[in-house]
Amino acid sequence: MSAPATRVPPADGASAHDHPQGANPEKQFHHDAAVKSADLVHREIIRKNMESYDAGHMKGRARFMDWDAARDRCQAIKREAINHLDKYLLQFEENVTARGGHVFWAATSQEARNYIRDLAVRHAVKTVVKSKSMVTEEIELAAALEKVGCTVWETDLGEYIVQLRHEPPYHIVTPAMHLNRTQIAELFRDKFGEPDLPEDPQKLVAAARRKLRQAFFAAEMGISGANFLVADVGAVAISTNEGNGRLTTSLPRIHVAVTGIEKVIPRLEDLATLWPVLATSGTGQPVTTYGTLVGGPKRPGEADGPEEFHVVLVDNGRSSLLGHPEEREVLHCIRCGACLNICPVYRHIGGHAYGTTYPGPIGAVLTPHLRGSAFEHLSYASSLCGACTSVCPVKIDLHHHLLHNRRDFMKAGHGKVGERIRFRLWRVAMLSPKLYALGGWLGRKSLRAIYGLGLSGSLLDPLRAWNRKRATVPVAKESFREQWRKGLGNSK
Amino acid sequence: MATANNPSRDLILKRIRAGLQMPVTARWEEVPERPFFAPIENPLERFQQECKANLMELTLTDNAAESARQLASILNTLPPGEIFMQDHAGLRALVEDAGVSREIRWSSQGGPREVAQATVSLAEALVAHTGSVFVSAACGGRGASVVAPCHIVFANTNQLLPDLKTALSNATRNGVLKNNSFACMISGSSRTADIEKILVQGAHGPIRLAVILERR
Amino acid sequence: MPRKVSLFVPCFVDQLLPEVAVDTVKVLRKIGCEVEFREQQTCCGQPAFNSGYWDDARPCAEKFARVFQDAEAIVCPSGSCTTMVRKFYPELLKESPMRGDAVAAGQRTYELSEFLVRVAGVTDVGAVFPHSVTYHASCHGLRELGLKEEPLKLLHAVQGLKLVDMPRYDECCGFGGTFAIKFADISAAMGQSKVENVMASGAEYVTAIDSSCLMHVQGMLGKNKFKAQAIHLASILASDGGRA
Repeated sequence: MSAPATRVPPADGASAHDHPQGANPEKQFHHDAAVKSADLVHREIIRKNMESYDAGHMKGRARFMDWDAARDRCQAIKREAINHLDKYLLQFEENVTARGGHVFWAATSQEARNYIRDLAVRHAVKTVVKSKSMVTEEIELAAALEKVGCTVWETDLGEYIVQLRHEPPYHIVTPAMHLNRTQIAELFRDKFGEPDLPEDPQKLVAAARRKLRQAFFAAEMGISGANFLVADVGAVAISTNEGNGRLTTSLPRIHVAVTGIEKVIPRLEDLATLWPVLATSGTGQPVTTYGTLVGGPKRPGEADGPEEFHVVLVDNGRSSLLGHPEEREVLHCIRCGACLNICPVYRHIGGHAYGTTYPGPIGAVLTPHLRGSAFEHLSYASSLCGACTSVCPVKIDLHHHLLHNRRDFMKAGHGKVGERIRFRLWRVAMLSPKLYALGGWLGRKSLRAIYGLGLSGSLLDPLRAWNRKRATVPVAKESFREQWRKGLGNSK
Repeated sequence: MATANNPSRDLILKRIRAGLQMPVTARWEEVPERPFFAPIENPLERFQQECKANLMELTLTDNAAESARQLASILNTLPPGEIFMQDHAGLRALVEDAGVSREIRWSSQGGPREVAQATVSLAEALVAHTGSVFVSAACGGRGASVVAPCHIVFANTNQLLPDLKTALSNATRNGVLKNNSFACMISGSSRTADIEKILVQGAHGPIRLAVILERR
Repeated sequence: MPRKVSLFVPCFVDQLLPEVAVDTVKVLRKIGCEVEFREQQTCCGQPAFNSGYWDDARPCAEKFARVFQDAEAIVCPSGSCTTMVRKFYPELLKESPMRGDAVAAGQRTYELSEFLVRVAGVTDVGAVFPHSVTYHASCHGLRELGLKEEPLKLLHAVQGLKLVDMPRYDECCGFGGTFAIKFADISAAMGQSKVENVMASGAEYVTAIDSSCLMHVQGMLGKNKFKAQAIHLASILASDGGRA
């Protein structure tokens, strides 16, 4: 079998895609966002895929008698879980342990990585199959396993495609959304040595199936994520359409489920709400094809299943959000991707430009908390249009949390000095109507002079940043208040 | 679990508890729970509709003999090769009635092998609202519903439940996950839309999911 | 209906696009309101608030509350500034002694179409505008204030106006205040998609309830040398079709 590509090797504690060599994330973001937003081929692929999602999503929502009531219910379930996180995690652990599974609590990425790496070494694992998991991206698991000699296969088709391209996932639900069938066909022809492979999705899927089937049957370790951790029965719930999650958790000798601590939910019954809502928000489906529940290793009398079952609960900064007065609810996120899909910023710059595991609105809110101040710029890279909040199935107040983040960053003194001074001066002017009117008059006079000389967008133009990209800003000869004084106020 | 093997367990719990102590801004108004799905009026009809939407093959039969004939006819469409079956007295009788001449691997011998052309199992329950088949490890194990290109499920109309909520609360009450290491709500054949959002059936799991539903 | 209304003019409308405020005055007078303009007003504070400088935004909010303390109804030709006043002041002024006044003022502050339709109960202001027009739903008006139908009701009642649909009419134009400057490339790309949709609608004009969006849309239309024009809802409602 052809070995899958190794992904970009991580520098210590930081992945290459999060920290490109020597660059700072903010500069990199500006650069990548500028390149991608000008890439019209990319824009067209995303537009087409997103419109197909939009149609499915709206159709899916129409299956609900009351979509908003379903969202309220999801919010209530997650709120209950997060507000009693310790209790439900312990209940989950107790149930899994009683069935012979292992639960490992990882405070950091490194702890999670090392635990799984050591497990692989201890069992002399050569081949690992992975089903889709963003947390394994977050903790850069694949590279750590490759370092100790494991061959790691991404088995979700989209993940497999981006793995072959040495890329991180582009989207948290549809990782290869940025590629069209031509690009995928070329990739497969090249990597599989099948020069005659046609550009037919059916044929391409079949080719990937053939490759990955060998891996499934050879693998000693299967690594999955978890969409939910069900406390009352002690099971991880994994949603997949392709069945790769099923094979990953059925065939190898060891199954490791890696997930964030916030994924716990109180009751199995809650899935009757969460499953349909997640599927509708994620892809527009009524329900995902396989809602898999795994609660332990193979039991005596069962036909098959792994001999060992491990759950790795990753904190990695999540618990710090619990104490945040406004943003605790960010932990309600079920990673459906709906906020990415509707976000006009995401639709124009795409998933890779963010340079983070979690892109889009949820990433812009969450990443500064998980990764620190180097990612604060993401909370500013939004027009605050609120489309994200309007679709969030657990009703996270996403765009307002961007405002909260901005407030907190400035309070912590992270603002640029020039900007701080500008806003202070602005404030002085705004508090004095006379100064405001005078400043406005002077500003208009000078702008009109500059634009009169045809210098719009030049270095002399104070509104260069605006005018460089747009037709020159209109500047009135007389302000409204001047007109009001001159007679508008007295006329009828 | 011993703390020695889990050095950060207490630390994380401590952090969680400290965080939960913090008062949060009460933006949350408690909204009374209200129904969000229309009630299912005719479960069988709904199940038939949803199976169709999920691209499943559903056949209603009136008795065991008819079910056996149906099984035989599905197997006849498959390439030669081994069949995997859940080891269950009812299914053994059915195979006999159907006159299956292929090699059969029973779940008592282990999980299905890669060469299996089809897997045959029972179900814990069926769900009308989503056209789902609920299976557990007791239904021939984990691979029994995913390894082969074709999965054939035997069920009867008494197993048909209106919705997921009923199915999952029954599962809790009956201890399905207490007695099994695995369960799965299956709503259609394996599929993907990862290439240009175009639906392709049979990604890694079965291309065909056939339900033989016996009226009771 | 309150007969006396106090105008709140967004600072950039005052300085850059005063005709929008002039037209607002015309419309309000047309339906029989007595309009006042308190010259002590400046900016609602949104630029600082959105940038995270809440300490600089707060005095602006307190000032707003003082200026409009006794105003019966405050009308603003902007969904965005109205949102700032009504939705964000309570949070911004959480610990301010002026919070009560600010919240009360916010309750009396209305975006123009909201005031006309919901408060004054008027949909036909007697305007004439014989052109094809498409509507862009400004984000703050739509998602913060829930103004979905109000502007459309007003447009439907305009004589001679042909309202045409625009693809993705409720997607952000990319303005976003300082976002348009700080992330000019992303903002302009979003604006580009917006004006392409405007052109796809085939309309002569694109209208909205916010001058900020329209300024951006006009900037992108101009950059592309597209023929369509951006026009504020107030200016359509103030129009008499060139009869006067």
